[in-house]
Amino acid sequence: MSKFLKFTASIVLLGAAWATNASAQDADAGEKVFRKCAACHAVGDGAKNKVGPELNEIFGRVAGSHEDFKYSNAMVKAGEEGLVWDHDSLTQYLAKPRDFVKGTRMAFAGLKKDDEIANVIAYLATFSANAEQAAAEPAPAAAEGGETKPTETAEAPATNAADAVIPEHGVYHLGREALPEEVAAWDIDVRPDGVGLPVGSGTVADGGVLYDENCAVCHGVFGEGEGRWPVLAGGYDTLTADRPVKTIGSYWPFASTIFDYVHRAMPFGNARSLDADQTYAITAYLLYLNDIVTDEDFELSNETFSEVSLPNEENFYPDDRLEEANFATNVEPCMENCGDGPAEIVMRARILDVTPDGDDESGAGGID
Amino acid sequence: MSQQPEKDKNFVPSRRSFLQGGLTAAGGAAVAAIGGGAALAAGTPDPAITELKDWNQYSGPGVDAAPYGVPSPFEAHVVRRDVPWLTADPISSINFTPLHELDGIITPNGLCFERHHSGVAEVDPAEHRLMINGLVDKPLVFTMQDLMRFPRENRVYFLECAANSGMEWRGAQLNGCQFTHGMLHNVMYTGVRLRTLLEEAGVKPSGKWILAEGADASGMGRSIPIEKALDDCLVAFKMNGEALRPEQGYPVRLCVPGWEGNMWVKWLRRIEVGDKPWQLREETSKYTDLMPDGRARRFTWAMDVKSVITNPSPQAPITHGRGHTIITGVAWSGHGKIKRVDVSIDGGRNWQHARIDGPSLSRSLHRFYYEFNWDGSPLYLQSRAIDEHGYVQPTKNALRAARGDNSIYHNNGIQTWYLKSNGEAENVEVS
Ligand code: HEC
Ligand code: HEC
Repeated sequence: MSKFLKFTASIVLLGAAWATNASAQDADAGEKVFRKCAACHAVGDGAKNKVGPELNEIFGRVAGSHEDFKYSNAMVKAGEEGLVWDHDSLTQYLAKPRDFVKGTRMAFAGLKKDDEIANVIAYLATFSANAEQAAAEPAPAAAEGGETKPTETAEAPATNAADAVIPEHGVYHLGREALPEEVAAWDIDVRPDGVGLPVGSGTVADGGVLYDENCAVCHGVFGEGEGRWPVLAGGYDTLTADRPVKTIGSYWPFASTIFDYVHRAMPFGNARSLDADQTYAITAYLLYLNDIVTDEDFELSNETFSEVSLPNEENFYPDDRLEEANFATNVEPCMENCGDGPAEIVMRARILDVTPDGDDESGAGGID
Repeated sequence: MSQQPEKDKNFVPSRRSFLQGGLTAAGGAAVAAIGGGAALAAGTPDPAITELKDWNQYSGPGVDAAPYGVPSPFEAHVVRRDVPWLTADPISSINFTPLHELDGIITPNGLCFERHHSGVAEVDPAEHRLMINGLVDKPLVFTMQDLMRFPRENRVYFLECAANSGMEWRGAQLNGCQFTHGMLHNVMYTGVRLRTLLEEAGVKPSGKWILAEGADASGMGRSIPIEKALDDCLVAFKMNGEALRPEQGYPVRLCVPGWEGNMWVKWLRRIEVGDKPWQLREETSKYTDLMPDGRARRFTWAMDVKSVITNPSPQAPITHGRGHTIITGVAWSGHGKIKRVDVSIDGGRNWQHARIDGPSLSRSLHRFYYEFNWDGSPLYLQSRAIDEHGYVQPTKNALRAARGDNSIYHNNGIQTWYLKSNGEAENVEVS
């Protein structure tokens, strides 16, 4: 009936064969791997649903069945067809989420290394009462490889001190010349004048597909921001309003910043996973969401980049705080009988209890 | 908001619990331990003296009980705390230094506030490299060992987030100097002058700016003018004598003395020299100051002169009643040393000079004290710092008059605590 039934069967058959105690080190290494998931999932005491469902008691959970979470139709259907999370199904899902559950909303490319998968599953198992029979096979390679080895204080030199090669450059002759490949690997920054743009291109339409897959869960389908995740579009003419909405279209001065930032830091929790073409496409789409380009066929590339400018560019000026009256005068302040009459309270702390359940709206501004 | 860790649940700077119990649950143990004897009726012998205590009778744990020492269990409430509603997710969030629990000028490493944009990077120092590239004679790569072979310096500097007190622009909002002023710490760094490293690579005459970049998943990057880079910037690997804490950028971070904390790039892995600023996200979308006319200041780097009374304050009420009373706090300026701190107990009508004690160092916290005889009447406590250039800490209203309510960053206005007759303090603003 369904391809998923075999996994349930495999638990019964193999359950006994699997080691019943996931070694502590696997789970420890898995805790580190879980950082790749933590932007979207919580696990442990008090874990709540975030972008993805909380993962306590994941072993034995029917896929797509957490009551309070809104899954994709694909995930719900997989559950209805018999997909139950166990060691085997998790292994396949985490390797290639979109291949294993076609249409899943989990915007995650998958874990590349087998030991990472085994370890993160061992980690999840520590939060699942049902995990005993499904405990992960130990991943011996990772147990050593994944651990950070504390560097011993006395690191004996491998060769005689007199044999050390001293480079010619500089004052202290320390360090070595960076190779061009090394510079290229790290130097990915892009400036407003286009310096640093890699060769590549992508259209608004391509960007839309990528954006929906990788970004919309947090930033909203229209860039409006889900929950408290950053708003990326809209907010025009709000900069003088009581509550300004600062977005790419309403506030940012330079389009190069979009490319640079998305390429280096997004999607959140899986940075540097987009190649140059994908980043051009997504940047083009973000410009489109902000009405800066209007043509769906517009192709952004290292060549067309200079055609784009953002409307708020002119409205930034250098720091002139020290010219404000208070600082500029630099006079001795009043010491006695200052102000009119005795001081009176004009405002009191609005939030007396800094509690977790505090009203979300109560925080004015936030910290950015 | 749903991510609130358990630890915060029992700490609530709430008036209710204060009035009921006299003390908040978390603060209770410590204050009782210190002040408990005071409540005894005259003539009753103090059991703290007359009774034999366990610690007086039985041996304690041996030397190896804690290979890395930790604070007394009675200090368990002295921790960083966060305000969950400020940000969408704890991975890109902030917590605050408990200023009201500290004295002197140095912030202990474990209490230095944290602000990450993509969580704490766990970097293996053996695999960490610092690269210098761009407009230099020779692009270079340093290992941690290479870095530690350059001449080192020890300097104490404050680090303040530009958004410190940012929640207070629209009015008094959070009760506790930890929350209003706790994006601040003061640490002695050991490191190498950035200048030394740049000279090793040889900056070309066309090099006017540097880009400092981190190794974390946010790829944090900021443009810094070359004058500052060649002046006092430090590439630091030790804080208060020990290795940097992971959350402070282990194994190496940049110090940009007197300038906003966001520029102090953690997990520093690359310095690029260029001829123009890069205009990255953290210096365009963020860390630019929106003015009432809809325009925005950019490159607002320096942290202006500022001070705050840390005790008493909402989380640190006065529990001893009237009589000899100490007001204390910290003052700092990104432009240099603090020349003077004034304290007012009547909401800014009359001011007295406070006493500064401890080292007075440029771009470092200064500790001040003001001692007086409290008659138990309600007071409006304020402090006002003046730095060596004569810059005077402004009132919040003066700042609002110049900048409106929406500039988020660089709020260095004078803080008022309303001290009530029962010793409780509240965050208020006065006329
Ligand atoms: C970018 C966000 C994101 C990341 C990163 C992410 N997930 Fe998910 N995850 C989701 C979403 C959203 C769903 C729901 C999918 C659906 O409805 O199709 C999900 C579903 C799941 C499920 C199925 C849960 C259920 O109740 O059926 C598991 C198991 C899971 N994720 C594990 C992981 C693990 C382990 C990682 C890290 C290796 C990870 N995820 C990384 C967003 C994410
Ligand atoms: C798991 C949630 C999540 C996903 C998925 C995600 N982002 Fe983000 N995004 C964030 C967070 C959180 C920040 C703010 C990070 C910080 O605090 O520095 C952010 C910031 C941004 C910003 C800067 C916003 C500003 O106002 O400065 C842009 C642009 C952006 N993201 C684009 C993208 C794009 C494009 C994608 C898809 C490729 C994406 N994001 C995927 C969470 C997410």
